[in-house]
Amino acid sequence: MTWVGKSLQRKEDGRLIRGQGLFADDEHSDSMLHLYILRSPYAHARIASIDVSAAQALPGVACVLTGSDIKEQCVPYMQLGPAPCDKIVDLPLATDKVIFQGEPVAAVAADSAAIAMDAGLLIEVEYEMLDAVVDPEEALEDKILLHEAAATNRTYHDVFEYGEVDKAFSDAAHVVKINRLHFHRFASTPVENNACTAEWNQRGDLDFLCNNSFAGFSMQLLAPSLRLPVEKLRIRSYDIGGSFGVKIWNYVYMALAALASRKCGGRKVKWSETRTEHLQGSGHGNERTFLDTEVALDKDGVITAIKSRHIDDCGAYPRYEPLGCIIWAQVLPATYGVRNFRIDFTQTVTNKCPVVPNRGYSRMQHLWFMERIVDICAHELAIPADEMRLKNYIREFPYETPNGCIYDSGNYPAMLEKAKQMIDWDGWKQKQIEAREQGRLLGIGIGTTLDSGTNNFGQAQIMNPNLPFSGNSEVCIICLDLDGSVVVSLGTGPSGQGHETTTSQVVADELNIDPSMITVRTGFDSAWNAFSGHSGTYASQFAVSGLSAVYGACQKLKAQMRQLAGFMLKADAAELEFGVGEEGPQLSVKGTDKSINYWFMSNLVNSNNALLDDSLADVTLNVRHVYRPPFEVPDTEKKFGNLTLTYAAQLHIAVVEIDTDTCRPNILAYAAIDDCGKVINPQIVNGQVAGGTAHGIGAVLMESFDYDEVGNLLTATFSDYCPLTVMNMPDVQYGSIETPSPFSYNGAKGMGEGGGAPLHTLSAAIQDALYAEGIIVTDSHHSAPRVFERLRAPNREATVSVESRRVGAQ
Amino acid sequence: MYPAPFQYHRAKTVDEAVGLLAGIGEGARVLAGGQSLLAILKLRFDEPTDLVDIGRIANLDQIDDAGEVINIGALATHNRIGASAIAEAIPIVSDCANGIADNQVRNLGTIGGSVASGDPSCDWPTLLHTLDGEILCQGPDGARTLDINGFVEDLYQTALKPAEIITGLRFKKPAAGSGGAYCTFKRCAPAYPTIAVGVQLTIRNGQVDSSRIALGSAGLTPIRASAAEAELTGGSLGADEINKAAEAAVAAADPYDDRRGSAEFKRQLIATLTKRAIAIAQRRAGGETVKNSPEYY
Repeated sequence: MTWVGKSLQRKEDGRLIRGQGLFADDEHSDSMLHLYILRSPYAHARIASIDVSAAQALPGVACVLTGSDIKEQCVPYMQLGPAPCDKIVDLPLATDKVIFQGEPVAAVAADSAAIAMDAGLLIEVEYEMLDAVVDPEEALEDKILLHEAAATNRTYHDVFEYGEVDKAFSDAAHVVKINRLHFHRFASTPVENNACTAEWNQRGDLDFLCNNSFAGFSMQLLAPSLRLPVEKLRIRSYDIGGSFGVKIWNYVYMALAALASRKCGGRKVKWSETRTEHLQGSGHGNERTFLDTEVALDKDGVITAIKSRHIDDCGAYPRYEPLGCIIWAQVLPATYGVRNFRIDFTQTVTNKCPVVPNRGYSRMQHLWFMERIVDICAHELAIPADEMRLKNYIREFPYETPNGCIYDSGNYPAMLEKAKQMIDWDGWKQKQIEAREQGRLLGIGIGTTLDSGTNNFGQAQIMNPNLPFSGNSEVCIICLDLDGSVVVSLGTGPSGQGHETTTSQVVADELNIDPSMITVRTGFDSAWNAFSGHSGTYASQFAVSGLSAVYGACQKLKAQMRQLAGFMLKADAAELEFGVGEEGPQLSVKGTDKSINYWFMSNLVNSNNALLDDSLADVTLNVRHVYRPPFEVPDTEKKFGNLTLTYAAQLHIAVVEIDTDTCRPNILAYAAIDDCGKVINPQIVNGQVAGGTAHGIGAVLMESFDYDEVGNLLTATFSDYCPLTVMNMPDVQYGSIETPSPFSYNGAKGMGEGGGAPLHTLSAAIQDALYAEGIIVTDSHHSAPRVFERLRAPNREATVSVESRRVGAQ
Repeated sequence: MYPAPFQYHRAKTVDEAVGLLAGIGEGARVLAGGQSLLAILKLRFDEPTDLVDIGRIANLDQIDDAGEVINIGALATHNRIGASAIAEAIPIVSDCANGIADNQVRNLGTIGGSVASGDPSCDWPTLLHTLDGEILCQGPDGARTLDINGFVEDLYQTALKPAEIITGLRFKKPAAGSGGAYCTFKRCAPAYPTIAVGVQLTIRNGQVDSSRIALGSAGLTPIRASAAEAELTGGSLGADEINKAAEAAVAAADPYDDRRGSAEFKRQLIATLTKRAIAIAQRRAGGETVKNSPEYY
């Protein structure tokens, strides 16, 4: 029986559907304290004074923390960026001033959450208002500084240049100039907010049950900030209700629960965010502006060069940034064969919520930019959208991009063809002609995108050569427990991706047993020792990094099992086969009735070892395997090297009609084709594809973090920041092709983020609907009120220009 | 997300509720379905000293077809109304009741609470304007009946006197040959409408005998668009009349910029939804069954 490739029902679902999941907020004890975080109502203000006396006096209050406690007890979090980032002081509470609305200024631990909140609201904070800066270009003028010690708001600047850009432009038949594009701010809001319990006992051990989704990395930043050796820190998670990257950096505020616990004599303290806290002060996706873009094309419409100036807005604190200033380069040319690039990349802080790696992190922004370019050029040169893609797609694999990334495999033309058939491209083209005759605004758009998985942390050194990160790794421990049961521990800490299921499928195939005979431990626990500094669930990689670790661990275990069984059964390893006998999982000698079951093998190693001899000294039936993808440190000078191992692809086509009365873009048809190489579990892949599609559609039509000019977040509840629900979800036709990756043992490619495909696709469809109206789609958000504004202000002349000339006359 | 501390009182009768409210005075709030009040308390936009829960008062949730008049008890929930024979017989009532927020809200939220909130985004006040409703109240000075017109005096302000509560709503059953529609455009189910328009037309021999047009989320109070009604009454719903009615509805509105859209965008929606509601009302007046649910972004 082969389990990999089958839609095995998710092992996780039984407990989750029955309400037997354990989320961080489910943890409860009667003696536990509850933390309330008082947050700044202002985006930029100096803290003149804080008076906590009334809060401290309220019955039931155990302790109050303010910035002055924190300053004494914490080392500011390590900054990843180069100078001047090292001057940025990032602590769990604001100390001298606040720099975004929702920034924590004090915390109260009390017997109940209600008392904690009552007390928190008794804290009197006197603020001196400062001017706020929310516009990134204005921020770069440095007239208003967020981090005075850094003396600038600019956290990153560099130029990414590849090929012969100037020559390509002088040889070009057409140059298309687009003066401004903007990717809006949103986040893939998980259903579970940030939460943890912390218990910092008298022996100095600090135990968290939390929902951090990148524990291996977070521990390295959290422990030093609390002046703890990592060994003193235990991080556990059980079930996590979605992360999408947003929960990577919740450790910043987990520290508050820990400090409160220590101050209260080691009592357990729970912190659980409200939705408004999450929207105001958790993490947003990167907002990016693309200025002065110029595109060189040959006479046939093949793009030969692109130059542009990108400004990324990372909000108040860089935190995981400025990594996003590099991560996009994993997909520098998108799915296209462009060889010449000059991208001037700058990042700035603003008085807004910090950004975090949100589903599609940094690549999505760049892929949207590339798709807008291709789409706008096609319209300007009157090349049909499908032909434009076919002219420019990369077709040979493995493909080395201009910056040294290796695209493993793919077949974009086949995906396009499949999507066109699925949606009835020709039929819609005909209907579009009819619709236009009736004055209706109907558009058809293509979005081709990439989901780069298993990243090379060495790319961080392109940003800051001093960073001690490179490569990637994931860890798996597999053992036969005392009773012979197969137990697997991982470092991934999943947040809904079904790791227990897909891991069981791989192990079941390797041991030739049933997946139900395998226990994959739920969640993450640093005490299992099954983690590395890269461990976590992020960057679309489990099917490659995680399952390669599982596969490698299986090989080590099997070798030991063969050795032990061979010794006991007096047989050659080659004669042994794995399977299930009358007494459960076993190894047997081919063609005989001789066998040894897992219980006895475990018994021999663990409790009955006088039967063994010295040749079996290394047989433990408890093996740990670290998977390391074959990466090198990139050339940091040239910004060149392989940044990611696998490249899953998505191709979506949408048909959209703009209701000219309500200005709502109605999705009339939607097809989504996915290629993630070898599929481990089609049902799980489908779920991820559907979820990624929903997040993208929500971002386009509904979800936007909008700030006013003084830095108030105007969309801080779910009735203003409306996440997409099933009520707003159009019918989507799903399909797939399979181009196995040559770089993973199983042919799989990491998937799950989805590359923001609907953002590219719907922008293109809306462009197609509005081009004849003189409108260029320059933004990624298309809610009805925004479309209303756009329809009233045609912008083509002010946005795009085309210079065409005869070439070759020289 | 915890309210400030308050005293909780559960009233068994209307008289007891009124007595409690009068006794406690300014710091008291009425709790019925709690779908607006609890959110306000949890966000600490209001910190009342006392809540008087009227939710368990018997027989205040009845829906009664008394022939010419429909009576709905103040505690009737949106879902109870939406599933009632009244809603089946009068489609505009179904449009409104079944289009409010999501199932969780509709299961608990009450018509009385919706009217008492004085919120121009709440659906029932707009609908009652469309149906010429009346509000039955009881206070320390006894019972009285108020016209829906003028009941919402300003943003969140109603004609209710201190310690006075709404006990029921009533409206005349639309005549034969009458049809109505309540159309909303909103971002998503739990969000308030960006714009709501209610239209009720009585048509005899192709001619509009009477018309009612009301607008929600279009100003600081629900708005009766009388000038728009006048464009239709006596006419035969020609395209020109409908356009003029839509223009008059826009002129009657006083929308403002907010997260739901600019005032200009909302004006365009008022015109659009007025036309759509007229079209559905006309078809329903002719006896046709027309499905109508909120339109989401």
